[in-house]
Amino acid sequence: MKRRVVITASSAITPIGYDKNEIIHSLRQGKSGVAPLRDDGLLTKHIHSHVFGTVDYPIDYGFKRHFTKTMGPVAFYACQVAKDVLESSGLEEDFITSGRLGVAFGSTHGSPTVQRDIYKTFFNDLDSKFSSIGAVDYLRSMVHTTAVNITRMFGITGRIIASSTACTTSSQSIGFGYEMIKYGMQDAMICGGADEYDTTTVAVFDNLLACSVNFNETPECTPRPFDTKRDGLVVGEGGGAVLLEEYESAKKRGANILGEIIGFSCNNNGGDLILPNLDGITATLKLALKDAEIQPGDVDFISAHATATKMGDVIEAQAIDAVYGDGPLVTGLKSYMGHTMGTCGVIELILTMYMMEQNFIAPTLNLENVDERCSMLRHTRELTGTTTRIAAIQNFAFGGVNTCLLLKNGRDLNA
Amino acid sequence: MTRDELQDKIITILTEDFEFEQPGLDDNLRDDHNFDSIDAIELLGKIELILGVSLSREEKEKAMTIRTINDIVDYIETIENSRNK
Repeated sequence: MKRRVVITASSAITPIGYDKNEIIHSLRQGKSGVAPLRDDGLLTKHIHSHVFGTVDYPIDYGFKRHFTKTMGPVAFYACQVAKDVLESSGLEEDFITSGRLGVAFGSTHGSPTVQRDIYKTFFNDLDSKFSSIGAVDYLRSMVHTTAVNITRMFGITGRIIASSTACTTSSQSIGFGYEMIKYGMQDAMICGGADEYDTTTVAVFDNLLACSVNFNETPECTPRPFDTKRDGLVVGEGGGAVLLEEYESAKKRGANILGEIIGFSCNNNGGDLILPNLDGITATLKLALKDAEIQPGDVDFISAHATATKMGDVIEAQAIDAVYGDGPLVTGLKSYMGHTMGTCGVIELILTMYMMEQNFIAPTLNLENVDERCSMLRHTRELTGTTTRIAAIQNFAFGGVNTCLLLKNGRDLNA
Repeated sequence: MTRDELQDKIITILTEDFEFEQPGLDDNLRDDHNFDSIDAIELLGKIELILGVSLSREEKEKAMTIRTINDIVDYIETIENSRNK
């Protein structure tokens, strides 16, 4: 049994906005969400990169303590976007708690803020007489904290997938959720990812010489995917969720169909855990096309992973060239908000869906001079009015994990 | 600390930290205020801070029969008395 899988609700908390119209405005106006790195009183002064894709606006969560007691900052993002998609979906309470709705949601490593507090207690021997480690610190920090806080808040009883594969966390969530529905194991899935403000992640990439350091005084000028002056990635924060549903039942209940997931692929490079791998990435892009049973020429737009590292962008450009040539427009959406880590896949898919709906493609920010090794692609250099039928969302992660999602415009499915 | 002072302190903790709304001394903590096992462990941490002592495993297990605010105050007084013997 193979069933069609559609997206019927979405929500994203991003460095360039939370509200859909604000995000679209930022994309149209070329507004960056990269800002100075905030002082965490611990690591900041040792880090060379002083920029961060920042969520710097207040969010009115309104969650009761009954729920927040098991939530770290990352779960606040996760539950907020999950709440948004459930509210806008119009799904009935009976269905939400029926076991036919599951959750595929993850983060890079749970809540580092809470983990840091736990380790402070260990290393400083704080309040050693008393129970300094809270009863719920594990629940707030554990790697599957986002997924299970969503189930707890909304009484969801279906399957749980808590992927945690760094930068492919949320693209895997969407892909695995898609497969759950496609093969009949669930009728709907809330899929996505979140990552909170965290300087330890910046420190890790900084140590690997992978973070941007040349634009500390002008944060909006970095990251610079495919540009000759690119000097590394910018870590960011955020959260995103989509509601996936089986097409026939979504149509039957009159849901507004935003898009269709028509293909997904996930593979591993089978070797080095850090270096990008041309064979592995090329295979991923081809596997997604095979899953969707479409040809490369059917894809109009590629949301590239494009973190703006020196080698990563070149390898990805070579893979795109090998599979697609210079057919589809290519944009690196991280140029607007940095690399939101575990949540980048879902955010980039949602932004792509917004652009599809509004008939435009945003250009890659800060792409002034294309690196000649990436110049064989059809880069989006300016705001482009166009109709996109099918888009590819590509993401690659430490650990050699690669994913590709193929998204079809939902416009024709509402007819 | 008198019983009334202790009672006020517990009510303040339950209201401010546990978001209880208008708690009554004989309310059922679980049924009336969604107080669960996680909350019980958190409250024991706060009781340790009030008493300035670390509770033993045995003392903590005795707290699992607590059902009302009056029970909490009784529990703390019992601990205090046993420690002062």
